[in-house]
Amino acid sequence: MIRSVFGESVQGASHIRSGKECQDSLKKVEKDENTVILAVADGHGSDSCPYSKTGSYVAVNVFCKILGDYLATYEGQPELLLTFLNREGDTKVAQAIDAEWKRRILKIHANCKREVVLDADLNKDKGAIYKMYGSTLLGLVITKDFLFAFQLGDGDIVKVSEAGVQNVIEAERILGTETYSLSKDQSWKNAITFVKKEDEVVGRSVMYMLSSDGLANSFKNDDEFKKTCNDYYALLNEHGAKAVSDHLKTWLAETSELGCGDDITALFVYYNQQESK
Amino acid sequence: MSGLKRPGGELASRPLHFFWIVDCSGSMHGEKIGTVNHAIQSTIPEMVSAAENNPNAQLMVRTLKFSTGASWVTSSPVNVEDFAWDDLDAEGVTDLGKAFELLSAQLTIPPMSDRALPPVLVLLSDGQPTDDYKKSLAELKKLPWGKKAVKIAISIGQDADDGVLEEFTGNKELVLQANNAAALTKMIKWASTAASLVSAPASISMDEETTAEGGANPVIVDMGGRIPDLDDIQEDDVW
Repeated sequence: MIRSVFGESVQGASHIRSGKECQDSLKKVEKDENTVILAVADGHGSDSCPYSKTGSYVAVNVFCKILGDYLATYEGQPELLLTFLNREGDTKVAQAIDAEWKRRILKIHANCKREVVLDADLNKDKGAIYKMYGSTLLGLVITKDFLFAFQLGDGDIVKVSEAGVQNVIEAERILGTETYSLSKDQSWKNAITFVKKEDEVVGRSVMYMLSSDGLANSFKNDDEFKKTCNDYYALLNEHGAKAVSDHLKTWLAETSELGCGDDITALFVYYNQQESK
Repeated sequence: MSGLKRPGGELASRPLHFFWIVDCSGSMHGEKIGTVNHAIQSTIPEMVSAAENNPNAQLMVRTLKFSTGASWVTSSPVNVEDFAWDDLDAEGVTDLGKAFELLSAQLTIPPMSDRALPPVLVLLSDGQPTDDYKKSLAELKKLPWGKKAVKIAISIGQDADDGVLEEFTGNKELVLQANNAAALTKMIKWASTAASLVSAPASISMDEETTAEGGANPVIVDMGGRIPDLDDIQEDDVW
Protein backbone atom coordinates (compact mmCIF):
# COMPACT_ATOMS: atom_id res chain seq x y z
CA MET A 1 0.00 0.00 0.00
CA ILE A 2 1.17 3.51 -0.77
CA ARG A 3 0.85 5.93 2.13
CA SER A 4 0.24 9.67 1.88
CA VAL A 5 0.20 11.95 4.90
CA PHE A 6 -0.86 15.57 4.69
CA GLY A 7 -2.85 18.17 6.56
CA GLU A 8 -3.54 21.85 7.09
CA SER A 9 -4.58 24.23 9.84
CA VAL A 10 -6.48 27.37 8.90
CA GLN A 11 -7.31 30.45 10.89
CA GLY A 12 -11.07 30.56 11.48
CA ALA A 13 -13.21 33.24 9.89
CA SER A 14 -14.11 34.62 13.34
CA HIS A 15 -10.44 34.77 14.29
CA ILE A 16 -9.58 36.57 11.07
CA ARG A 17 -12.20 39.20 11.94
CA SER A 18 -10.91 39.56 15.50
CA GLY A 19 -7.23 39.35 14.57
CA LYS A 20 -6.64 36.27 16.72
CA GLU A 21 -4.11 33.76 15.40
CA CYS A 22 -5.09 30.18 14.64
CA GLN A 23 -5.12 28.24 17.90
CA ASP A 24 -4.84 24.77 16.31
CA SER A 25 -1.66 22.76 15.76
CA LEU A 26 -0.86 19.60 13.88
CA LYS A 27 2.13 17.32 13.69
CA LYS A 28 2.96 14.26 11.62
CA VAL A 29 5.93 11.98 12.11
CA GLU A 30 6.58 9.37 9.45
CA LYS A 31 8.98 7.16 11.34
CA ASP A 32 9.42 4.56 8.62
CA GLU A 33 7.47 3.08 5.73
CA ASN A 34 5.15 1.28 8.13
CA THR A 35 4.81 3.66 11.02
CA VAL A 36 3.22 7.08 11.28
CA ILE A 37 2.32 9.23 14.27
CA LEU A 38 -0.28 11.98 13.86
CA ALA A 39 -1.55 14.60 16.27
CA VAL A 40 -4.01 17.49 16.15
CA ALA A 41 -4.67 19.89 19.02
CA ASP A 42 -7.15 22.73 19.39
CA GLY A 43 -6.22 25.55 21.74
CA HIS A 44 -9.30 26.92 23.47
CA GLY A 45 -8.82 30.50 22.31
CA SER A 46 -10.97 32.09 24.98
CA ASP A 47 -9.94 35.24 26.85
CA SER A 48 -8.88 33.15 29.83
CA CYS A 49 -6.53 31.05 27.65
CA PRO A 50 -4.27 33.68 26.05
CA TYR A 51 -1.48 31.21 25.27
CA SER A 52 -3.57 28.33 23.99
CA LYS A 53 -1.75 28.36 20.64
CA THR A 54 1.36 27.41 22.58
CA GLY A 55 -0.69 24.85 24.49
CA SER A 56 -1.81 23.13 21.30
CA TYR A 57 1.70 23.26 19.84
CA VAL A 58 3.11 21.61 22.95
CA ALA A 59 0.31 19.02 22.93
CA VAL A 60 1.02 17.69 19.43
CA ASN A 61 4.74 17.58 20.14
CA VAL A 62 4.23 15.75 23.42
CA PHE A 63 2.02 13.12 21.79
CA CYS A 64 4.50 12.43 19.00
CA LYS A 65 7.45 12.33 21.41
CA ILE A 66 5.85 10.03 23.95
CA LEU A 67 4.38 7.61 21.44
CA GLY A 68 7.65 7.69 19.52
CA ASP A 69 9.48 6.75 22.70
CA TYR A 70 7.12 3.83 23.32
CA LEU A 71 7.67 2.60 19.77
CA ALA A 72 11.42 2.81 20.28
CA THR A 73 11.30 1.08 23.66
CA TYR A 74 9.26 -1.81 22.29
CA GLU A 75 11.05 -2.02 18.93
CA GLY A 76 10.80 -5.57 17.59
CA GLN A 77 8.15 -6.43 20.19
CA PRO A 78 4.91 -5.21 18.68
CA GLU A 79 2.81 -7.74 20.59
CA LEU A 80 4.17 -6.45 23.88
CA LEU A 81 3.51 -2.84 22.90
CA LEU A 82 0.03 -3.74 21.74
CA THR A 83 -0.68 -5.40 25.06
CA PHE A 84 0.70 -2.41 26.94
CA LEU A 85 -1.38 0.09 24.97
CA ASN A 86 -4.45 -2.06 25.40
CA ARG A 87 -4.03 -2.25 29.14
CA GLU A 88 -2.46 1.09 29.89
CA GLY A 89 -3.45 3.38 27.02
CA ASP A 90 -6.02 5.37 28.98
CA THR A 91 -4.02 5.26 32.20
CA LYS A 92 -0.22 5.22 31.98
CA VAL A 93 0.04 6.58 28.44
CA ALA A 94 -2.55 9.27 29.14
CA GLN A 95 -0.84 10.10 32.44
CA ALA A 96 2.52 10.41 30.69
CA ILE A 97 1.04 12.81 28.12
CA ASP A 98 -0.72 14.83 30.83
CA ALA A 99 2.42 15.10 32.97
CA GLU A 100 4.76 15.95 30.09
CA TRP A 101 2.41 18.61 28.70
CA LYS A 102 2.20 20.25 32.13
CA ARG A 103 5.97 20.02 32.67
CA ARG A 104 6.66 21.71 29.34
CA ILE A 105 4.02 24.38 29.92
CA LEU A 106 5.56 25.40 33.24
CA LYS A 107 8.98 25.53 31.63
CA ILE A 108 7.79 27.66 28.72
CA HIS A 109 5.88 29.93 31.06
CA ALA A 110 8.98 30.49 33.17
CA ASN A 111 11.29 30.90 30.16
CA CYS A 112 9.00 33.50 28.64
CA LYS A 113 8.90 35.33 31.99
CA ARG A 114 5.12 35.46 31.85
CA GLU A 115 3.06 36.56 34.81
CA VAL A 116 3.37 34.34 37.88
CA VAL A 117 -0.07 33.64 39.30
CA LEU A 118 -0.21 33.03 43.03
CA ASP A 119 -2.82 31.09 44.94
CA ALA A 120 -4.35 32.08 48.29
CA ASP A 121 -1.25 30.79 50.13
CA LEU A 122 1.01 32.82 47.84
CA ASN A 123 2.35 29.69 46.16
CA LYS A 124 2.65 29.45 42.41
CA ASP A 125 -0.83 28.60 41.13
CA LYS A 126 0.06 25.95 38.57
CA GLY A 127 -3.59 25.28 37.72
CA ALA A 128 -4.07 28.91 36.73
CA ILE A 129 -0.96 28.75 34.55
CA TYR A 130 -2.08 25.56 32.79
CA LYS A 131 -5.46 27.15 32.14
CA MET A 132 -3.82 29.94 30.13
CA TYR A 133 -2.53 27.28 27.71
CA GLY A 134 -5.68 25.10 27.56
CA SER A 135 -5.89 22.69 24.65
CA THR A 136 -7.47 19.46 23.46
CA LEU A 137 -5.50 16.62 21.88
CA LEU A 138 -6.20 13.99 19.23
CA GLY A 139 -3.57 11.40 18.35
CA LEU A 140 -3.20 8.40 16.09
CA VAL A 141 -0.41 5.87 15.66
CA ILE A 142 -0.53 3.43 12.77
CA THR A 143 2.02 0.63 12.43
CA LYS A 144 1.90 -2.52 10.33
CA ASP A 145 0.85 -4.38 13.46
CA PHE A 146 -1.72 -2.14 15.12
CA LEU A 147 -3.54 1.17 15.34
CA PHE A 148 -3.66 3.28 18.50
CA ALA A 149 -5.96 6.30 18.83
CA PHE A 150 -6.12 8.87 21.62
CA GLN A 151 -8.63 11.62 22.30
CA LEU A 152 -8.83 14.21 25.06
CA GLY A 153 -11.49 16.83 24.41
CA ASP A 154 -13.48 17.56 21.29
CA GLY A 155 -12.64 16.82 17.66
CA ASP A 156 -12.97 13.74 15.50
CA ILE A 157 -10.90 10.78 14.40
CA VAL A 158 -12.62 8.99 11.55
CA LYS A 159 -11.81 6.12 9.24
CA VAL A 160 -13.26 5.96 5.74
CA SER A 161 -13.04 2.99 3.44
CA GLU A 162 -15.28 1.30 0.95
CA ALA A 163 -17.14 0.02 4.00
CA GLY A 164 -18.17 3.60 4.82
CA VAL A 165 -17.39 6.18 7.50
CA GLN A 166 -16.77 5.17 11.07
CA ASN A 167 -15.57 7.01 14.15
CA VAL A 168 -12.33 5.47 15.36
CA ILE A 169 -13.15 6.80 18.82
CA GLU A 170 -16.68 7.42 20.02
CA ALA A 171 -16.03 10.39 22.25
CA GLU A 172 -18.54 11.83 24.67
CA ARG A 173 -20.46 14.57 22.91
CA ILE A 174 -20.49 17.74 25.00
CA LEU A 175 -23.03 20.37 24.03
CA GLY A 176 -22.11 23.97 23.43
CA THR A 177 -18.57 25.26 23.64
CA GLU A 178 -17.21 23.30 26.59
CA THR A 179 -14.56 20.64 26.16
CA TYR A 180 -12.24 18.48 28.17
CA SER A 181 -8.81 20.00 28.36
CA LEU A 182 -5.20 19.09 29.05
CA SER A 183 -5.13 22.05 31.38
CA LYS A 184 -7.37 20.42 33.97
CA ASP A 185 -6.01 18.66 37.02
CA GLN A 186 -5.67 14.95 36.19
CA SER A 187 -6.82 15.58 32.65
CA TRP A 188 -5.75 12.06 31.74
CA LYS A 189 -8.94 10.77 33.36
CA ASN A 190 -10.91 12.26 30.47
CA ALA A 191 -8.76 10.64 27.80
CA ILE A 192 -10.28 7.92 25.64
CA THR A 193 -8.10 5.46 23.76
CA PHE A 194 -8.67 2.74 21.21
CA VAL A 195 -6.35 -0.04 20.13
CA LYS A 196 -6.85 -2.39 17.22
CA LYS A 197 -4.59 -5.11 15.99
CA GLU A 198 -3.52 -4.88 12.36
CA ASP A 199 -6.24 -2.73 10.85
CA GLU A 200 -7.50 -4.62 7.81
CA VAL A 201 -7.99 -2.51 4.71
CA VAL A 202 -11.38 -3.17 3.15
CA GLY A 203 -11.17 -2.67 -0.60
CA ARG A 204 -8.40 -0.84 -2.37
CA SER A 205 -7.91 2.13 -0.08
CA VAL A 206 -8.51 3.59 3.37
CA MET A 207 -8.39 7.12 4.78
CA TYR A 208 -8.00 8.29 8.36
CA MET A 209 -8.74 11.88 9.28
CA LEU A 210 -8.09 13.75 12.51
CA SER A 211 -9.97 17.04 12.66
CA SER A 212 -10.53 19.80 15.16
CA ASP A 213 -14.15 20.47 16.13
CA GLY A 214 -14.29 23.47 13.81
CA LEU A 215 -14.74 21.09 10.90
CA ALA A 216 -17.69 19.06 12.22
CA ASN A 217 -19.30 22.18 13.73
CA SER A 218 -19.37 23.82 10.31
CA PHE A 219 -21.87 21.32 8.95
CA LYS A 220 -25.59 21.34 9.40
CA ASN A 221 -25.55 18.04 11.26
CA ASP A 222 -23.56 14.86 11.78
CA ASP A 223 -24.83 13.29 8.57
CA GLU A 224 -23.49 16.21 6.56
CA PHE A 225 -20.13 15.88 8.32
CA LYS A 226 -19.99 12.19 7.46
CA LYS A 227 -20.91 12.98 3.88
CA THR A 228 -17.94 15.33 3.84
CA CYS A 229 -15.62 12.58 5.08
CA ASN A 230 -16.90 10.34 2.30
CA ASP A 231 -16.41 13.10 -0.26
CA TYR A 232 -12.78 13.56 0.78
CA TYR A 233 -12.25 9.84 0.46
CA ALA A 234 -13.83 9.78 -2.99
CA LEU A 235 -11.65 12.69 -4.10
CA LEU A 236 -8.55 10.94 -2.84
CA ASN A 237 -9.47 7.82 -4.79
CA GLU A 238 -10.26 9.78 -7.91
CA HIS A 239 -7.64 12.52 -7.96
CA GLY A 240 -4.94 11.36 -5.54
CA ALA A 241 -3.46 12.79 -2.38
CA LYS A 242 -1.51 15.61 -3.99
CA ALA A 243 -4.57 17.15 -5.59
CA VAL A 244 -6.50 17.07 -2.33
CA SER A 245 -3.50 18.35 -0.38
CA ASP A 246 -3.04 21.23 -2.82
CA HIS A 247 -6.64 22.36 -2.36
CA LEU A 248 -7.06 21.57 1.31
CA LYS A 249 -6.18 24.96 2.77
CA THR A 250 -8.62 26.79 0.50
CA TRP A 251 -11.39 24.30 1.21
CA LEU A 252 -10.94 24.47 4.96
CA ALA A 253 -10.91 28.27 4.91
CA GLU A 254 -14.16 28.28 2.92
CA THR A 255 -15.65 25.75 5.30
CA SER A 256 -14.89 27.96 8.29
CA GLU A 257 -16.19 31.07 6.56
CA LEU A 258 -19.50 29.49 5.58
CA GLY A 259 -19.73 27.39 8.73
CA CYS A 260 -18.99 27.97 12.38
CA GLY A 261 -16.09 30.44 11.98
CA ASP A 262 -13.71 28.46 14.17
CA ASP A 263 -10.15 27.45 13.29
CA ILE A 264 -10.09 24.18 11.39
CA THR A 265 -7.41 21.53 11.19
CA ALA A 266 -7.64 18.34 9.17
CA LEU A 267 -4.82 15.81 9.06
CA PHE A 268 -5.07 12.84 6.71
CA VAL A 269 -3.33 9.57 6.22
CA TYR A 270 -4.39 7.78 3.07
CA TYR A 271 -3.41 4.30 1.96
CA ASN A 272 -4.05 3.00 -1.51
CA GLN A 273 -2.78 0.26 -3.73
CA GLN A 274 -1.71 2.53 -6.55
CA GLU A 275 0.98 5.15 -6.62
CA SER A 276 -0.58 8.37 -5.37
CA LYS A 277 -1.33 10.76 -8.27
CA MET B 1 -6.88 19.94 -11.36
CA SER B 2 -7.58 23.57 -10.46
CA GLY B 3 -11.31 22.98 -10.95
CA LEU B 4 -11.71 20.61 -8.02
CA LYS B 5 -14.82 21.49 -6.07
CA ARG B 6 -14.80 21.71 -2.30
CA PRO B 7 -16.00 18.41 -0.89
CA GLY B 8 -18.60 18.30 1.74
CA GLY B 9 -22.16 18.37 2.90
CA GLU B 10 -24.30 21.36 3.68
CA LEU B 11 -22.50 24.05 5.65
CA ALA B 12 -24.31 26.12 8.25
CA SER B 13 -23.55 28.71 10.88
CA ARG B 14 -24.32 27.61 14.43
CA PRO B 15 -27.74 28.58 15.77
CA LEU B 16 -27.85 30.69 18.90
CA HIS B 17 -31.25 30.88 20.57
CA PHE B 18 -31.98 33.94 22.69
CA PHE B 19 -35.08 34.00 24.91
CA TRP B 20 -36.67 37.01 26.57
CA ILE B 21 -38.82 35.66 29.44
CA VAL B 22 -40.93 38.47 30.78
CA ASP B 23 -43.03 38.72 33.93
CA CYS B 24 -46.31 40.34 32.87
CA SER B 25 -48.11 40.03 36.21
CA GLY B 26 -50.20 42.89 37.58
CA SER B 27 -47.37 44.31 39.68
CA MET B 28 -45.42 45.05 36.49
CA HIS B 29 -48.20 47.36 35.33
CA GLY B 30 -47.31 50.92 34.45
CA GLU B 31 -43.74 52.21 34.37
CA LYS B 32 -42.10 48.82 34.81
CA ILE B 33 -43.64 47.09 31.79
CA GLY B 34 -43.38 50.33 29.86
CA THR B 35 -39.64 50.47 30.52
CA VAL B 36 -39.25 46.80 29.57
CA ASN B 37 -41.10 47.37 26.31
CA HIS B 38 -39.07 50.43 25.43
CA ALA B 39 -35.71 49.03 26.50
CA ILE B 40 -36.02 45.71 24.68
CA GLN B 41 -37.32 47.46 21.59
CA SER B 42 -34.28 49.72 21.64
CA THR B 43 -31.81 46.83 21.93
CA ILE B 44 -32.95 45.22 18.68
CA PRO B 45 -30.81 47.33 16.31
CA GLU B 46 -27.75 46.65 18.46
CA MET B 47 -28.46 42.93 18.50
CA VAL B 48 -28.86 42.98 14.72
CA SER B 49 -25.61 44.85 14.36
CA ALA B 50 -23.78 42.42 16.66
CA ALA B 51 -25.21 39.50 14.69
CA GLU B 52 -24.03 41.03 11.43
CA ASN B 53 -20.54 41.20 12.86
CA ASN B 54 -20.58 37.47 13.45
CA PRO B 55 -22.05 35.71 10.43
CA ASN B 56 -20.90 32.36 11.83
CA ALA B 57 -23.63 32.40 14.46
CA GLN B 58 -27.29 32.52 13.54
CA LEU B 59 -29.03 34.54 16.24
CA MET B 60 -32.66 33.47 16.74
CA VAL B 61 -34.82 35.43 19.17
CA ARG B 62 -38.16 34.76 20.80
CA THR B 63 -40.27 36.07 23.65
CA LEU B 64 -42.11 34.18 26.37
CA LYS B 65 -44.48 35.99 28.74
CA PHE B 66 -45.98 34.78 31.97
CA SER B 67 -48.66 36.09 34.30
CA THR B 68 -51.80 33.99 34.82
CA GLY B 69 -50.41 31.12 32.77
CA ALA B 70 -47.63 31.53 30.22
CA SER B 71 -47.52 31.81 26.45
CA TRP B 72 -45.15 32.44 23.56
CA VAL B 73 -45.37 35.91 22.12
CA THR B 74 -43.16 34.71 19.29
CA SER B 75 -44.47 31.29 18.39
CA SER B 76 -41.27 30.06 16.75
CA PRO B 77 -37.65 31.26 16.71
CA VAL B 78 -37.18 34.36 14.57
CA ASN B 79 -33.99 35.52 12.93
CA VAL B 80 -32.88 38.65 14.80
CA GLU B 81 -33.12 40.69 11.59
CA ASP B 82 -36.82 39.83 11.43
CA PHE B 83 -37.54 40.11 15.14
CA ALA B 84 -40.05 42.76 16.17
CA TRP B 85 -41.02 43.52 19.73
CA ASP B 86 -44.73 43.47 20.48
CA ASP B 87 -45.49 45.67 23.47
CA LEU B 88 -46.59 43.61 26.44
CA ASP B 89 -49.35 44.41 28.94
CA ALA B 90 -49.29 43.47 32.59
CA GLU B 91 -52.09 41.85 34.59
CA GLY B 92 -52.70 38.69 36.55
CA VAL B 93 -50.51 36.53 38.81
CA THR B 94 -46.96 35.21 38.46
CA ASP B 95 -47.02 31.67 37.03
CA LEU B 96 -43.28 31.33 36.62
CA GLY B 97 -43.49 27.54 36.72
CA LYS B 98 -45.68 27.56 33.63
CA ALA B 99 -43.04 29.61 31.82
CA PHE B 100 -40.35 27.08 32.74
CA GLU B 101 -42.55 24.29 31.36
CA LEU B 102 -42.89 26.02 28.00
CA LEU B 103 -39.18 26.77 27.97
CA SER B 104 -38.29 23.13 28.67
CA ALA B 105 -40.34 21.98 25.72
CA GLN B 106 -38.25 24.22 23.46
CA LEU B 107 -34.88 23.31 24.95
CA THR B 108 -35.16 19.60 24.27
CA ILE B 109 -33.33 18.01 21.31
CA PRO B 110 -35.18 18.35 18.93
CA PRO B 111 -36.39 21.07 18.41
CA MET B 112 -32.98 22.32 19.59
CA SER B 113 -29.99 21.16 17.59
CA ASP B 114 -27.09 19.44 19.35
CA ARG B 115 -24.63 21.64 17.41
CA ALA B 116 -26.16 24.91 18.58
CA LEU B 117 -24.31 27.44 20.67
CA PRO B 118 -25.46 27.63 24.30
CA PRO B 119 -28.86 29.32 24.41
CA VAL B 120 -29.28 32.56 26.34
CA LEU B 121 -32.23 32.84 28.71
CA VAL B 122 -32.99 36.29 30.11
CA LEU B 123 -35.67 36.30 32.80
CA LEU B 124 -37.20 39.59 33.95
CA SER B 125 -39.37 39.55 37.07
CA ASP B 126 -40.49 41.87 39.84
CA GLY B 127 -42.28 39.49 42.14
CA GLN B 128 -42.68 36.11 43.72
CA PRO B 129 -43.94 33.08 41.82
CA THR B 130 -47.54 32.22 42.58
CA ASP B 131 -47.34 28.66 41.27
CA ASP B 132 -45.11 25.72 42.15
CA TYR B 133 -42.12 26.67 40.01
CA LYS B 134 -39.60 24.35 41.70
CA LYS B 135 -40.56 21.16 39.92
CA SER B 136 -40.58 22.74 36.46
CA LEU B 137 -37.31 24.58 37.16
CA ALA B 138 -35.73 21.28 38.20
CA GLU B 139 -36.99 19.68 34.95
CA LEU B 140 -35.57 22.58 32.96
CA LYS B 141 -32.17 22.28 34.62
CA LYS B 142 -32.08 18.53 33.98
CA LEU B 143 -32.19 19.06 30.22
CA PRO B 144 -28.78 19.07 28.52
CA TRP B 145 -29.43 22.51 27.06
CA GLY B 146 -31.08 23.61 30.29
CA LYS B 147 -27.79 22.95 32.06
CA LYS B 148 -25.66 24.59 29.42
CA ALA B 149 -27.82 27.64 28.82
CA VAL B 150 -26.53 31.03 29.88
CA LYS B 151 -29.11 32.12 32.41
CA ILE B 152 -29.44 35.76 33.35
CA ALA B 153 -32.13 37.28 35.57
CA ILE B 154 -33.10 40.90 35.98
CA SER B 155 -34.60 41.56 39.37
CA ILE B 156 -37.01 44.48 38.99
CA GLY B 157 -37.76 46.55 42.08
CA GLN B 158 -37.33 45.78 45.74
CA ASP B 159 -40.14 43.22 45.96
CA ALA B 160 -38.54 40.79 43.54
CA ASP B 161 -37.59 37.43 45.03
CA ASP B 162 -33.86 37.29 44.35
CA GLY B 163 -33.66 33.81 45.85
CA VAL B 164 -35.90 32.43 43.13
CA LEU B 165 -33.97 34.27 40.44
CA GLU B 166 -30.71 32.94 41.82
CA GLU B 167 -32.14 29.42 41.71
CA PHE B 168 -32.78 30.04 38.03
CA THR B 169 -29.36 31.48 37.14
CA GLY B 170 -27.37 29.23 39.48
CA ASN B 171 -25.15 32.21 40.05
CA LYS B 172 -25.71 35.24 42.26
CA GLU B 173 -23.65 37.50 40.01
CA LEU B 174 -26.05 36.94 37.15
CA VAL B 175 -29.04 38.26 39.08
CA LEU B 176 -28.92 41.88 37.96
CA GLN B 177 -30.58 44.49 40.14
CA ALA B 178 -32.82 47.06 38.52
CA ASN B 179 -34.54 49.29 41.03
CA ASN B 180 -35.47 52.07 38.68
CA ALA B 181 -36.11 52.71 35.01
CA ALA B 182 -32.53 53.75 34.22
CA ALA B 183 -31.09 50.64 35.85
CA LEU B 184 -33.62 48.38 34.13
CA THR B 185 -32.79 49.85 30.74
CA LYS B 186 -29.09 49.40 31.38
CA MET B 187 -29.45 45.78 32.54
CA ILE B 188 -31.66 44.86 29.59
CA LYS B 189 -29.11 46.38 27.27
CA TRP B 190 -26.30 44.43 28.92
CA ALA B 191 -28.24 41.17 28.89
CA SER B 192 -28.85 41.58 25.17
CA THR B 193 -25.09 41.59 24.60
CA ALA B 194 -24.73 38.14 26.15
CA ALA B 195 -25.51 36.70 22.74
CA SER B 196 -22.37 38.17 21.23
CA LEU B 197 -20.26 36.84 24.13
CA VAL B 198 -21.64 33.35 23.66
CA SER B 199 -21.32 33.40 19.87
CA ALA B 200 -17.51 33.49 19.80
CA PRO B 201 -16.12 30.12 18.74
CA ALA B 202 -13.70 29.89 21.67
CA SER B 203 -13.89 26.73 23.72
CA ILE B 204 -14.23 26.63 27.47
CA SER B 205 -12.49 24.05 29.58
CA MET B 206 -15.01 21.68 31.11
CA ASP B 207 -15.30 22.41 34.82
CA GLU B 208 -16.54 19.70 37.08
CA GLU B 209 -18.90 22.06 38.89
CA THR B 210 -20.70 23.02 35.69
CA THR B 211 -21.59 19.41 35.01
CA ALA B 212 -23.27 18.99 38.35
CA GLU B 213 -27.03 19.23 38.43
CA GLY B 214 -27.98 22.85 38.82
CA GLY B 215 -24.29 23.72 38.68
CA ALA B 216 -22.82 27.14 38.20
CA ASN B 217 -23.61 29.03 35.07
CA PRO B 218 -20.74 27.95 32.80
CA VAL B 219 -20.32 31.16 30.90
CA ILE B 220 -19.75 33.29 33.99
CA VAL B 221 -16.07 32.50 33.51
CA ASP B 222 -15.86 34.79 30.55
CA MET B 223 -18.51 37.28 31.64
CA GLY B 224 -16.88 38.16 34.94
CA GLY B 225 -15.99 41.80 35.17
CA ARG B 226 -18.33 42.81 32.37
CA ILE B 227 -21.49 43.10 34.41
CA PRO B 228 -22.53 46.74 34.60
CA ASP B 229 -21.89 48.66 37.79
CA LEU B 230 -25.02 50.04 39.45
CA ASP B 231 -23.01 52.91 40.90
CA ASP B 232 -22.84 54.35 37.40
CA ILE B 233 -26.58 54.89 37.38
CA GLN B 234 -27.62 58.33 38.60
CA GLU B 235 -31.29 58.09 39.45
CA ASP B 236 -33.00 58.55 42.78
CA ASP B 237 -36.41 57.01 42.09
CA VAL B 238 -36.61 53.48 43.43
CA TRP B 239 -39.35 50.96 42.68
